[in-house]
Amino acid sequence: MTEVCVYHQEAMDRVKAAYPLWVKAYGRLEWKDYLDSVKRNVQTGQWVREIVTLLEGTG
Amino acid sequence: MGYTLVVCEKPDAAKKISEALSGGKAQRFMVEGVTVHKFAKDGENYVVASVQGHVYGLSDPFKERSVYPSFDTEWYPLNLVEKSTRARAARRLEVVNRLARFAAKFVNACDYDVEGETIGFNVLRYARPGSEHSALRAKFSTLTTEELNVAFGRLDKGGAGLARAGRARHLIDFAWGVNMSRMLTRSVNERTKRYRTISVGRVQGPTLSFLTSREREIREFVPVPYWKVHGRFGGENGEFDAECGGRFLVKAEALRVLDDCVGRESTAVRSASVAVSVMPPPPLNTGDLQKEAYRAFGFSPSKTLMAAERLYLSGLISYPRTASQKLPPTIGYNSILRRLAESGRRFEDASEILRSESKPVQGLKEDYAHPAIYPTAGRHPSGTLDAGEDALYDIIVRRFMAAFGPPARQEVLKVDFEVEGHTFRLQGKRTVFLGWMKYYGKYSARRDDVLPKISVGEKLKVLDLKVTERFEEPPPRFSESTLLEKMENESIGTKSTRAGVISTLIRRGYVGGTRLTVTDLGLSVAELIQESAPMLASAELTAVIEKSLDEVEEGKASDVPIVRDALKSIADQLVRFEEDERRDVPLVVGDVSAPPGVTLGKCPICKSGELRIVKSGRTGKRFVGCSAYGSGCRASAPLPQRGTVRPFGACQECSWPVVRVMLGRRPWSLCVNPACPAKGRKKIGL
Repeated sequence: MTEVCVYHQEAMDRVKAAYPLWVKAYGRLEWKDYLDSVKRNVQTGQWVREIVTLLEGTG
Repeated sequence: MGYTLVVCEKPDAAKKISEALSGGKAQRFMVEGVTVHKFAKDGENYVVASVQGHVYGLSDPFKERSVYPSFDTEWYPLNLVEKSTRARAARRLEVVNRLARFAAKFVNACDYDVEGETIGFNVLRYARPGSEHSALRAKFSTLTTEELNVAFGRLDKGGAGLARAGRARHLIDFAWGVNMSRMLTRSVNERTKRYRTISVGRVQGPTLSFLTSREREIREFVPVPYWKVHGRFGGENGEFDAECGGRFLVKAEALRVLDDCVGRESTAVRSASVAVSVMPPPPLNTGDLQKEAYRAFGFSPSKTLMAAERLYLSGLISYPRTASQKLPPTIGYNSILRRLAESGRRFEDASEILRSESKPVQGLKEDYAHPAIYPTAGRHPSGTLDAGEDALYDIIVRRFMAAFGPPARQEVLKVDFEVEGHTFRLQGKRTVFLGWMKYYGKYSARRDDVLPKISVGEKLKVLDLKVTERFEEPPPRFSESTLLEKMENESIGTKSTRAGVISTLIRRGYVGGTRLTVTDLGLSVAELIQESAPMLASAELTAVIEKSLDEVEEGKASDVPIVRDALKSIADQLVRFEEDERRDVPLVVGDVSAPPGVTLGKCPICKSGELRIVKSGRTGKRFVGCSAYGSGCRASAPLPQRGTVRPFGACQECSWPVVRVMLGRRPWSLCVNPACPAKGRKKIGL
């Protein structure tokens, strides 16, 4: 796993913490689709978008 | 027989004071190209001279820019320590110094607040030692003939506390800025192995900290979805929209409401109408005016302060640097209203207020020196104001009149409908009596909803239902106005300095944009502060110092222990930095040693770098250069050396960046490309 700075680590923690909320909201949502939706959302923060790109790359 | 030397802070004030005290008979004469006024009154000769704002500043006598700690500071004429101080300002000081030699008495007639008192104190102290204590003080809040004559009729010796507080604030801020900036600069050098000067001040540190905390929240924001269910209903008195149950965090639940309600009939089950009384807003203080001008016209706080200053010097409004939200009867409510009523149709509501004989509402905040900002309703000397000044004058007059208005009355209506066990709510409000809103006009931000009449038990058709998907939003970025409000709430800075602190953060490239976005440089500096000197980000410490200095102003405390404690805090921080073993750990965010400056956009030559406004280390001149200079890109362009330069989109002809140059009263736009085909058409149609 690539090492990230404290700010991107915080962003990663938030991405992971929000996943159960999205799953509950939609009923069923694959991790990959979740990442794609977060990345495309205009409200998503810059560091979150960068970390999502990283997560998508590492599978 | 000697004369009384009256020292003013600005030339316009000197002129107004001379005209008011002499009944328009003052003589003007020139001393080394500087205008001085002379007249006799009640058997006494007066000479009125002015400086131009601060003419003395603190400096480190050793001029070793990298050495710290540095606590040996002295006051010097500003023209000796700041290259930007104009020769004219130096000449004004020289003239005052010369006039002081032969004066028998002195009157300090600078603005009656901390900065004005400090200016007058320093000018007198160094012009004629001892006169700073013997000088009498003229205290006034407007430059009207009436008030100036009253002020000069009851001169006193007050104001010593203000000068002590002002000098102490300057001393603390100078020691803070010099030592902390040098320490942070060293920290950067050790962390990045490259030289870069970092500047941070006592109030800038916590302000940057507010901005970076918000920036981090925004950059780390993950939106979470929710849904809303809206319905369109039809009744006897028309159609309207209503909403069901706030936010649905689960999509299936929102869709269930839709399934249950489609094609059904609804019944109005509850209806409540509440009458609400809306009090007039309090009279304007500096912060309120800056916020209102931003809301109404988009003026930055510093632009508002500058325009307000011009209105004051024109004798149109009272002193605009005030914390007060109170209008005392001594300002003469009726005479101001009468003059407003007589000034034409624009403020004709003033006659209605006069007839009502009402008194103004008062706010909670007080200021020992000045009342809230109010119009004098005087005539502008040249008869015209520029658009910005006129807009500001309009809002000041209308807010003044609004303070006299009765409370407005609004009706808030809530109606609940039930459809198959689901409750929809229609909510709205309408103004039934304008009261003060009539006088505040378009600035009252009134919004009325059209509400149909619906009775409980009435059957309504469900015409349409829809589920909309939404996402939580990150907290909004600060605007200059909301940041100013945050600084006020946290008690950091003063009414006179807050706008300047925000401008400094923008000028240093730490933040940019209308919605203040922290740059990578700003994030790096904030991180550096957090790592090397967390004290610099502490709003609490700064607020404690402000509160202590307020007590010095009011004569309740001595400045000596406050300065001593502040300098000790700085010294302790410097020691902690020396002992910190982590001080050479590389920074996380960005590259703090990257060239400073505002980014203008992608470089059209190399397509990989970014064009930035940079300053030549050799000549000190600014120009546009490419960030990929190190990789060989030589794209560069000259810039005007005076005025503020801001990014302003891209040129339609050549796609190079366009900048907006703010200088004087007429800003202009300029494509930075020296070979742009649009050159020759000096002003681009933007």
